[in-house]
Amino acid sequence: MTELLVDPFRLPYMQRALLEVVLLGVLAGAVGVFVVLRRLAFVADALTHTVFPGIVIAFLLDQSILLGALAFGLLTAVLLAGIGAHRRVGDDAALAILLTSFFSLGVVLVSRARTFASDLTVFLFGRVLTVDRADLVQTLALAVLVLAVLAALRKELVLRAFDPAGAAAMGYRTVVLDLVLNVLIALVVVAAVKAVGTVLVIALIVVPAAAARLLADRVASMTALACLLGVAGGWLGLATSYRVSVDHGVRLASGATIVVVLVALFLAAASAAPLRRLAEGMVRR
Amino acid sequence: MGSEQQPLLAIRHAAVAYDRLPVVEDVDGTVGPGQSVALIGPNGAGKSTLIKAVLGLLPVVRGSIEVLGRSPASARSEVAYVPQADTLDPEFPVSALQVVLMGRYRRIGWVRRAARADRAAARSALEAVGLSERASARFGVLSGGQRQRVLLARAIAQEPRLLLLDEPFNGVDAVSQDLLLAALQRLRAEGAAVVMATHDLGLAHLACDEVCLLNRHQVGFGPIGTTLTPELLRATYGGQALALRGDAVIVAKP
Amino acid sequence: MSWLAGTFSGGFAQRALLEAIMVGGLCGVVGVHVLLRRLPFFTMALGHATFPGVVLAALLGVNLFLGAGLFGVLVVVLVAALGARERVDDTSAVGVVLAGAFAFGVLLLSAQAGFAKDLTAYLVGSIVTVQPADLATTAAVAAAVLAVLAALHKELVLGAFDRSGLAALGYPVLALDVALLLVVEVTLVASIPAVGTILAVALLVAPAATARLWTDRLGATLVLSPVLGAASGVIGLAVSQHWRVAAGATIVLVAAALFAVSLVVAPRHGLASQLRAGRRPAAARPAPDRAA
Repeated sequence: MTELLVDPFRLPYMQRALLEVVLLGVLAGAVGVFVVLRRLAFVADALTHTVFPGIVIAFLLDQSILLGALAFGLLTAVLLAGIGAHRRVGDDAALAILLTSFFSLGVVLVSRARTFASDLTVFLFGRVLTVDRADLVQTLALAVLVLAVLAALRKELVLRAFDPAGAAAMGYRTVVLDLVLNVLIALVVVAAVKAVGTVLVIALIVVPAAAARLLADRVASMTALACLLGVAGGWLGLATSYRVSVDHGVRLASGATIVVVLVALFLAAASAAPLRRLAEGMVRR
Repeated sequence: MGSEQQPLLAIRHAAVAYDRLPVVEDVDGTVGPGQSVALIGPNGAGKSTLIKAVLGLLPVVRGSIEVLGRSPASARSEVAYVPQADTLDPEFPVSALQVVLMGRYRRIGWVRRAARADRAAARSALEAVGLSERASARFGVLSGGQRQRVLLARAIAQEPRLLLLDEPFNGVDAVSQDLLLAALQRLRAEGAAVVMATHDLGLAHLACDEVCLLNRHQVGFGPIGTTLTPELLRATYGGQALALRGDAVIVAKP
Repeated sequence: MSWLAGTFSGGFAQRALLEAIMVGGLCGVVGVHVLLRRLPFFTMALGHATFPGVVLAALLGVNLFLGAGLFGVLVVVLVAALGARERVDDTSAVGVVLAGAFAFGVLLLSAQAGFAKDLTAYLVGSIVTVQPADLATTAAVAAAVLAVLAALHKELVLGAFDRSGLAALGYPVLALDVALLLVVEVTLVASIPAVGTILAVALLVAPAATARLWTDRLGATLVLSPVLGAASGVIGLAVSQHWRVAAGATIVLVAAALFAVSLVVAPRHGLASQLRAGRRPAAARPAPDRAA
């Protein structure tokens, strides 16, 4: 056990990678709860595609990728609202065109470099083993900010997820709440881009929360469980990819390994859920 | 302080639009404290649209709607809305008490958490609908009727002057129905007004003293005894109403 | 114009040009059906799911179409099974399965050498390295797909507008659905050398969506869409050669630009003309073309 879970992390770069995925696990898990409860997996996936060129542009201009991602995230929100208004073109078609064209813009920009293929791979799938202290500080700062906003707005976000009509009737502007959540998702994408890349971050957001939903009966416990599963997936994924490469000489991408572990945890939760159901049924009067 | 006679809800020759097209027109009537109005009409008649306009969620393109003498949007803190329970996700991880507490969110305000007074108000609202022992049950494991009662409790917890209900008796068992009626009666006794959209004419008789007949425009508004007549019903339901001998009218269930 | 001609003088450039035209045209035609049946979201998911299937097939030396097709079917079954469970909604089910499948594909590739280059080629295409064998495959696929679509045209169109009507007439509705999904999947795989799995959905959706902004008639759409698709291919390829940027992505950008421009200027359905007429955009779907 220690060979798998502890030994790999005696090395400084592995320790930094671990800290990064632990922070991301908590951050993405907490935001993921609302993405799953509001069935926003597709919108979140759209955001990861459209934020990508913003990140690339900021990177090329040597500016903060945070600002680049935010700028494109806001642009997406505006365009999404506009798409909904024009009904001749279906929402789906317009969304698909929006996603792929933004993504293509990012690809075109990256392809100007000679190291196109490896640069693109890093943007899309991350390279968690190269995380440095500055990255950790940024991730920590984002985590604190996002978690603070989630904690402050928790009850309104839950109400809006549970009963949008009721929330509107009480005078809450659901458009504003939705925008806030979209911004939070964009921030998670920025935090995760170095570690797991824009393509795999959606897994960090959706999978632990989807698994937690199967087992939890309250938003509070669902959040705790999602964060726990996110951290477990990160830890186990990193450890596994390390062990496999050291012991068997097979190099496995760390980010992808983390995602595969998370999906395995989800499947475990999915099998445990029916048993939970039985227990709930017995408690029910 | 405002006059004793000020109606809680005043609709004056109002037309409500959805997507810039008028959906329901010529609605005119007032509702005072303790009164209860049934909104009756076929599907698409404009019942939900009118409710949304009273909540300030849809624009009034002709005439006016005033709640407590003010615009609907500014009077929202005095108005509570009860949706149909089956529009909500039964698997959502939230307890009955937590749902009722949602009614206090506006009072609690942003960022702050529920205080002891809020929890007490929520518990007493649950008691008013007879569900105190199910406070910590997950909302979705309750029966349809119990869920509807929880939603009414949420509205009660808001301490409203005006209650708007959308088909509150749909799919509700007899026990829950009685408890809902009793709770509504108590609210009316305390001075609140109730407006409910329903197509159950029998329940309209039990729960309401006035009726507003709608079919994209107002067919009639007045005391239930004089307004819920076969001819007005036929005008409301068009081809879906069938007259029997004498005064009896059968309305096809939409 | 000579700039254009000069761009396509190299051998690889001519192959790329041919591929761009064929893929653009094929996707244009299939895309009309994708829109008719409201399949863009599903097609995106299928594109993501096809990636690991293609990687697996390539690694195992199995025929790409077979591997990708089988994997695509597997993914669809998994999503359906997962989405049927309580507390797992459809969008989360798709999210989980696709994330897992995608990560699986990346894992498989990462274990090989030349990881980044292969990965990039599968994801966003590598049209400039297209070989004569690829061209032959694309041509064969295009011929087969067009033949199937032509043969089943009436049934597919009717099924898109009136499923129960089709069933009432005695047609095997499910079989026709599956046939179309297979057509889409095969087209996706055929488009990989040109634009890769992530971007293929753009060529399937954008030219068709653009065509629908210009005409209400299905017959005209079926002609205009492949023309727009092929044009996007040619223009995109030329621009990418000139600016030395990724070809597949540029082709997609051109297709999207054509769409965006049409969204504004197209008579009747474009925003500009509707604002002038003071009307709100209509919600109508195109009526079936009786002559088609």
